[in-house]
Amino acid sequence: MDGAYRTGPFGRSLAWVTALYLVLPILIVVPVALTDQRFLSLPQEGISFRHFGTVLGSAEWLGSIWQSFTIAVAATVLSVTAGTLCAIGCWRISRRATELVRVLMLLPLIIPSIVYAIGLYRYFGPLGLLDRFLGVAIAHGVTGIPYVVITVSTALAAFDPRLEQAARGMGASLSQTLRWVILPRIAPGIFSGAIFAFIHSWDELVMVLFIASRQVFTLPRRIWDGINENLDPAMAAVAVLLILFTLLLLMADRALRRRSEGG
Amino acid sequence: MNEAKGHALSLRGLSKKYGEFVAVSDVSLEVGRGEFLTLLGPSGSGKTTILMAVAGFVAPSAGAILLDGRDITPLPPEKRDFGMVFQGYALFPHMTVAENVTFPLRVRGMSRAERDAKVRGALDLVQLGAFADRLPKQLSGGQQQRVALARALVFDPALLLLDEPLSALDKKLRAELQEELKALHQRVGRTFVNVTHDQEEALSLSDRIAILNHGRLVQAGAPGELYERPRTRFVADFLGKSNFLDGMVHGATASGFALEAGAVRVAVRLPDGAAAPPEGARTLLSLRPEKVALLAEDEGAENIAEGRILSFAYLGAGFSLRVATEHLGEIRAVLPAWKAPIAPAEGLPVRLGWAADAAVPVLEDAA
Repeated sequence: MDGAYRTGPFGRSLAWVTALYLVLPILIVVPVALTDQRFLSLPQEGISFRHFGTVLGSAEWLGSIWQSFTIAVAATVLSVTAGTLCAIGCWRISRRATELVRVLMLLPLIIPSIVYAIGLYRYFGPLGLLDRFLGVAIAHGVTGIPYVVITVSTALAAFDPRLEQAARGMGASLSQTLRWVILPRIAPGIFSGAIFAFIHSWDELVMVLFIASRQVFTLPRRIWDGINENLDPAMAAVAVLLILFTLLLLMADRALRRRSEGG
Repeated sequence: MNEAKGHALSLRGLSKKYGEFVAVSDVSLEVGRGEFLTLLGPSGSGKTTILMAVAGFVAPSAGAILLDGRDITPLPPEKRDFGMVFQGYALFPHMTVAENVTFPLRVRGMSRAERDAKVRGALDLVQLGAFADRLPKQLSGGQQQRVALARALVFDPALLLLDEPLSALDKKLRAELQEELKALHQRVGRTFVNVTHDQEEALSLSDRIAILNHGRLVQAGAPGELYERPRTRFVADFLGKSNFLDGMVHGATASGFALEAGAVRVAVRLPDGAAAPPEGARTLLSLRPEKVALLAEDEGAENIAEGRILSFAYLGAGFSLRVATEHLGEIRAVLPAWKAPIAPAEGLPVRLGWAADAAVPVLEDAA
């Protein structure tokens, strides 16, 4: 043994294999998207960007991208507002009951989304929310709350409660304290939560399959249908665009965190 | 000169219970206009709870808090208009020094021009005018403390509350800031209520000290009064150091008595107006170590005890001696090095002496 700190060759290769195993399925779509063939395959004679052209030139694909984006924005606003208020409320009251509330808020993460989707389908019907922008935005917004509650609660755990006392001691009302002292301190947590809530809505499929049909046709739904109906490499191109977009969001999140830790 | 600016605070029968635990028990206290009062006590004595009740963060279980005779007990903290310096300062880390100091003015909706002038004045008051654009974490502990002071004073608060304001600083800086704080108090002429467990800080800063133990007020008074005439053993022991002599009262007169301890008698002279304990009663005397002298061979004193040096410590400015006496047990003496008639050594026989008015009768504290 060469000491407790060093990883042996076995451990090291295991780690690399695991990492590759996780990343390969994501990476495989890149060459597929660049294929010169008319079906889902690896490039044969050369690489081609025409499938990206197909996606970006198609009203259907662009419509779905736009729809997914607006739904994700609306859902994010809902998740962030409700999740932040819930986390701050639980933090301020901080009793046993609030622990229960916090656990309840995590339920959408714990319950399989297909079960959740069946429930939504049952009671969205009578409310006329099936296959409506509002219905999908509400469903995504509510299921995005846990991400925000988690990130904001974490930010609040590091918040010095004496700052709130200090603000109120100097005459600040509750809303002034919230605006000028608490929110600026937990803003990185709120942004992280918003990014996760956005990604959650952006690539959500199961609920959309249940509560939407024709009017609301989100991007994941279009990919799903495309794979079921024809094996157009345009799907891989969309997937690449999705991956790039998600990577961008995650990098934004990281940069924000680094700034709030270092700054 | 600034006396009229300060406000008077009174606590009437203040109590705070947390379930079965009594944090503060029936404390009544008056703080005069412009006075610097320190609440002094060991941890768990209830001093911080009292301060937090005055600030409005803790609701008392019983009793009332009055400002200039007006009951403010039900008011929330934001309606009390008190400045407060928190332990660890609680500066807003995302705001610059100037923004921190502006905060109380901003919440009051003051105009920008008026705000800027006041903030400049407050920062100049604590000599931090050049640091207005720094963030709190770019300042030293002492500077942060002064920002906290400026922020607490900028809105002309009725009272300034200080929660262990110097406890986070090292010893040398603490002494410096003690002087600054005292000068600041004199300049602004406001009523200050300070909380500390540091008896030196309390003695040097305060106009008056209130000593607390187990949630009760043990004694309140001017620093000199508390030091020279402690009412109980706890006060004598907590405020400075003390020897305790235990014995029976003998031959009590209007001006003094003798304490009979074993085969010796200790003469005690009382100040005018102080009543002697009843004849034959068991009594405790407090004798400050610095009032005990090491006698030269032919030197006399009103009280003399012979013994041997158990141990001694050289403190630079002086010596601290532990002497085992035959009848009075162990006695500590602290004497300036230049005044020691002999060089101390362990086992050396010595004679200790003290004046009849050096020892003070104190009460045993109720458990």
